[in-house]
Amino acid sequence: MGLVHGEEMVLNIGPQHPATHGVLRLQVRTDGEVVSQITPYMGYLHRCFEKHCENVTYEQVIPYTDRCDYLSSMSMNFGYVVAMERLMDIKVNERVEHIRVVMAELQRIASHLLCTGVFGLDLGAFTPFLWALRDRERILDLFEFTCGARLLYNYMWVGGLSHDIPVGFVESTFEFLDYFEPKIDELENILAHNKILVERSADIGVMPKDIAISYGVTGPNLRASGVKWDLRKNDSYSIYDRFEFDIPIGEGKKGTVGDCWDRFYVRILEMRESVKIIRQALASMPKDGDVHQSLPKKIRPPKGSVYARTETPRGDLGYYIESDGSPIPYRLKMRSPAFTALSVMDEIAAGWLLSDVLAILGSLDIVLGEIDR
Amino acid sequence: MTVDFIFEGLNQLFPSFAGNDIFLILAMLLPFAGLFGFITIYGFGVIYSELKVSSFIQDKIGPMGQGPGLHAGKWGLLQPVADGLKLFFKEDIIPASADKPLFILAPFLIFIGAFISIIAVPFGEKIIVADMNIGIFYVLGIGSLAVIAVILAGWSSNNKWALYGGMRSAAQIISYEIPAGISLVVVIMLTSSLSMQEIISYQAGGLFNWVIFDNPFMPIAFVIYFISALAETNRTPFDLPESESELVAGFVTEYSGARYALFFLSEYANMFVVSAVAATAFLGGWQSPFSDFLNTPIWSMFWMISKTFFLIFVMIWIRWTVPRLRVDQLMHVCWKVFIPIGLFNIFGVAIWTVLRG
Amino acid sequence: MSQEKEKLIAELVNKGLDGDMDSVNACEDRVTRSKVKAMIMKIKKGSLDRPQMPVSLSDTPNESDDTGKTDDKTTEDISQKIKNMLLDNFPDETDETGQDGHMYVRPDKWLDIATWLKSESSLLFDSLQCQMGIDVGEDILESRYNLHSMVHDHYLEVRIRVARSNAKIPSVEQVWRIADWFERETYDMLGIEYVGHRDLRRILLPDDWEGWPLRKDYKEQETYHGIVVPKMKEGWD
Repeated sequence: MGLVHGEEMVLNIGPQHPATHGVLRLQVRTDGEVVSQITPYMGYLHRCFEKHCENVTYEQVIPYTDRCDYLSSMSMNFGYVVAMERLMDIKVNERVEHIRVVMAELQRIASHLLCTGVFGLDLGAFTPFLWALRDRERILDLFEFTCGARLLYNYMWVGGLSHDIPVGFVESTFEFLDYFEPKIDELENILAHNKILVERSADIGVMPKDIAISYGVTGPNLRASGVKWDLRKNDSYSIYDRFEFDIPIGEGKKGTVGDCWDRFYVRILEMRESVKIIRQALASMPKDGDVHQSLPKKIRPPKGSVYARTETPRGDLGYYIESDGSPIPYRLKMRSPAFTALSVMDEIAAGWLLSDVLAILGSLDIVLGEIDR
Repeated sequence: MTVDFIFEGLNQLFPSFAGNDIFLILAMLLPFAGLFGFITIYGFGVIYSELKVSSFIQDKIGPMGQGPGLHAGKWGLLQPVADGLKLFFKEDIIPASADKPLFILAPFLIFIGAFISIIAVPFGEKIIVADMNIGIFYVLGIGSLAVIAVILAGWSSNNKWALYGGMRSAAQIISYEIPAGISLVVVIMLTSSLSMQEIISYQAGGLFNWVIFDNPFMPIAFVIYFISALAETNRTPFDLPESESELVAGFVTEYSGARYALFFLSEYANMFVVSAVAATAFLGGWQSPFSDFLNTPIWSMFWMISKTFFLIFVMIWIRWTVPRLRVDQLMHVCWKVFIPIGLFNIFGVAIWTVLRG
Repeated sequence: MSQEKEKLIAELVNKGLDGDMDSVNACEDRVTRSKVKAMIMKIKKGSLDRPQMPVSLSDTPNESDDTGKTDDKTTEDISQKIKNMLLDNFPDETDETGQDGHMYVRPDKWLDIATWLKSESSLLFDSLQCQMGIDVGEDILESRYNLHSMVHDHYLEVRIRVARSNAKIPSVEQVWRIADWFERETYDMLGIEYVGHRDLRRILLPDDWEGWPLRKDYKEQETYHGIVVPKMKEGWD
C-alpha cells in the first residue's frame, strides 16, 4: 500500500464468481490490488417475495419464507409464525414451543457450520469446508427425519407445526450432539488458531460498534463488534427466557474487536451455546401435547399491524405484517439481516486488498436469497 | 550419458550400420519418448494420489467409480484417465478478444518448461538423460520459463482476472526464485559442484551422509527451499495466481479443454521437478539410506522416486490443510524472512566449511 | 471506535489531503492507517465530505445491557411520552394520534425530528430497525420507520403520510446509514422519493423497470426488453 497510484481499474466481482455466495455483483474500483470503492448490485435473485405475499393467503406465505434464506429455513418459518401469532394473539402449547426452539437451534448450528466452512473456503482452506458440510449433513438428516425435507421445510405453521417429531428423534438428536461437540473443537483447531488464517482475518475489516449499529448490522456480526445484543435474551420470544446460555461477543483476541476473525469466531462460540440450548430444550420437552392444538381453522387476523423480530443465524429478522382483516396480507415486509449486513460492505472493506474484500464478504455471512427476496 | 549409451548400444547391435545418423537421432528421441511416457504415468499417479489423499484428509471416499470392474470398482484407479479424456474431448474455446498466437503458445511454453527440466533429473548412477556439469543451474534456469508462460497466458486472455493472476504469479515466481537459489547455493558450496550426479555422489554412504544432516545449517536451507518450491509451483498456501475464491481461476480463467489440461499437467510436472531437486540436493538423490545395501540401479530408481513422492505427498498434505496467504504477506515472507535467513545460512556454511577444512 | 481514534483519523485525513502523506504513513496502527487511506481516496472521489473537526455524531451505546427488558414500560407509554416531548420541541409537526404504539409525523421536518430522536439523551434511537413503504389506498402512501434504542431498549414506530401525487419525504440516510438501502428499496417498490438521498436508484429491480410494483394500482408492463411479461394465470387464488 505505497503512495504510488496507478490507473484505476473497475472490476466486476460477480454475478458469477465463486466467492460471492450466490448471484451478487460487487463493482470494485481497484488500484493494483488495493480496493478503493465497492458498490454492491443485487436483485439477480429477486423473486418478488413481498408482491407474492399480497396475493396468497397467510398460510401460503410460509413456503415463500423458506425460500428467502434457504440456509436457515426453519428460522425464517419461526420468525413468520411468531409475528402471526403475535398479530392473532395465539398461544401455542409447550411441546410446540420446545420443538420450535430445538429446530431453530439445530438450524442455527447448520447455518453457522456452513458460514464458518465457507469462510475458510474464501481464504483458501478447502478441508474445513467439507468437514463442516459433513456435520451439517447430519442435521439435515434430522430435519428429513422430522418433516421429509432437507432444505425447504414448511415445518412451522401458524399456531403449531406441520408434524409432530417422529419417534426416536430425541434420542437421535442427543446422539448427534454427543458426536458434534468434539467436532466443534476440531473445526476450531484447524481454522481459528491457524496462523495463516489469523494473519488473513485479524485486524481486517474492522467494524466498530457505532458503525455497526448505524448500518443496522445485527446478529453475530454485531456481537462480534462487542455489542451484547441477542434477541433471544433481549427481546425474549418463544420460550428462550427459560434456557441458560451465554451471548458470545467479539473480544479482539487476535486483533481488534470487530474484525473478520471475531465475526468468524463468534459463530463458532454460538454453536456451542446452541448445543446447550438444544440439550436443555430436549430435556424439558413435555412428552405429550398435540402440535395441531392451536391451529386456527381459518387465518383471518384482526385489522392492524405487527412488527416482530426474531434472531436468525444471520441476525434480526423482522416481519412487518399489515392486515386489513382479510385472509390475504395487505402488506408484508421482511427486514432481512443479510441485507443490512451487506450494506456495510463499502464502509468497512474499502481501502483493503482485493483478497481482504472477499474475506470480509465471507465473514459477513450473506445469503443472497434473503437480500434479494 | 544415456544418449551416448544408447548410441553405442545401437552401434554394437547393428555393426553393419555403425555410425549411422539415424542411430544418433534415435538415441536422442528414445529417452525423450521414455520421459514422456514417464511424465504421463506419473501425472496419472499423482492426480490419483492427490484425489485419494485429499479424500482421506477430508473424510470422504474419493474416486471409486472408474477402474477395473468399472462402476463396481472400489479404488477408482482410472479416474485420472477419465478426467484427462474428458478434458481432451472438451470444446477448445479461444476468446474472441484474446491475443490468439500468444494464447495458443502459453500452455505449450509452460509444459515445455516443466518437461525439459526433467532431463537433468538423475534416477540412478547411469539413468539420467543428460548429466550436465551445470545440472542444478539448468533446472533453476528452465524453471523460470514458467514465468513467461504465465504472463503470456494472463495477458493474452484479455481478462481482468487472468491479468491479476498473471501479474501475481510473475511477482511470486521471480521473488521466490531468490530464496530457492540461495538455499541451493549452500549445497553447491558444500559439494563444490553444479552437477546433479556429483552432488549425489557427495552424499554416498547412508542416511547420515546426506546433505541435510551434514551440518546444522542444512535443515534450514532445506525448509527454505521446500517452501520456496511450493511457491514456485503455485501450490497452496501460495496458490494466489489461481486462487479460485478470489480470481475465479487466475491465469487459466479463459482456458478450456486440452490447453487447460496442459496447464494442469505442467503444474504436476513442476511439482515433480522441484521435489526431485530437493531430493537430489538434500536427501541423497538415488542413494540408498542404508549405505551400500539395496543400492543397485533398480533400487536407485526406487529410492529416487520414493523420496520425490514423499515430498510430493507433503505438498498435497499442506495443500489440503492450510488457507492461502495474501499477496503482501507472501512478499513479506520472501523478502523479509527467507532471504535474510538464506544469506545468513550462506555465511554460516562458509565458516563451517572453512573450519572443517 | 473510541473518540480519540476518530479524532486521530480526522486529523490524519486532513494532513494527508494537504499533501503530508508521511504523517499518515507514520501512523503505527495498521487499521487506522488503512481507514485513513480509504477515506482520503473517497474524499478525492467526492463520495465523502472532508471531515472538518472530529464530530461525534453518534453516541455509542453503553457496554452492555444484556438484561435490559421492557418490563412495565409498554410501547404505548413511550410513544405517548415521546409525543409530548415532540410537541414541545416541534409544535405542529405531529399529525393526528395513532393507536397501538405508533405516531404520525408530517414529512416537512422529518429530518430534524429524526436527528433529534437520535441525539436526545432520554431517547437515543440509534438503530433503525426497519423501514417500509405501504400503499394505504385513497391516494396515500405511507413510509414507516421502526426505531429502536440499543441504550434504553425502547421502540417507536413513526409513520409519515404523503399524497401519491407529491410523494416526497426527506431522506434520513445520513442519520441512520442503513436508511440508505431501506429508502432505495421503498423507492424501488413504491416510488416514494426521498429528498436529499445521495444515491437514490432502484436496488432490487433493474434500472429500466417501469412502474412501482407494490402500489396497489400497479400494472405489469406488456414486454420487458422484448420478453413478454407473463400475466397472472387463472385459478391462482
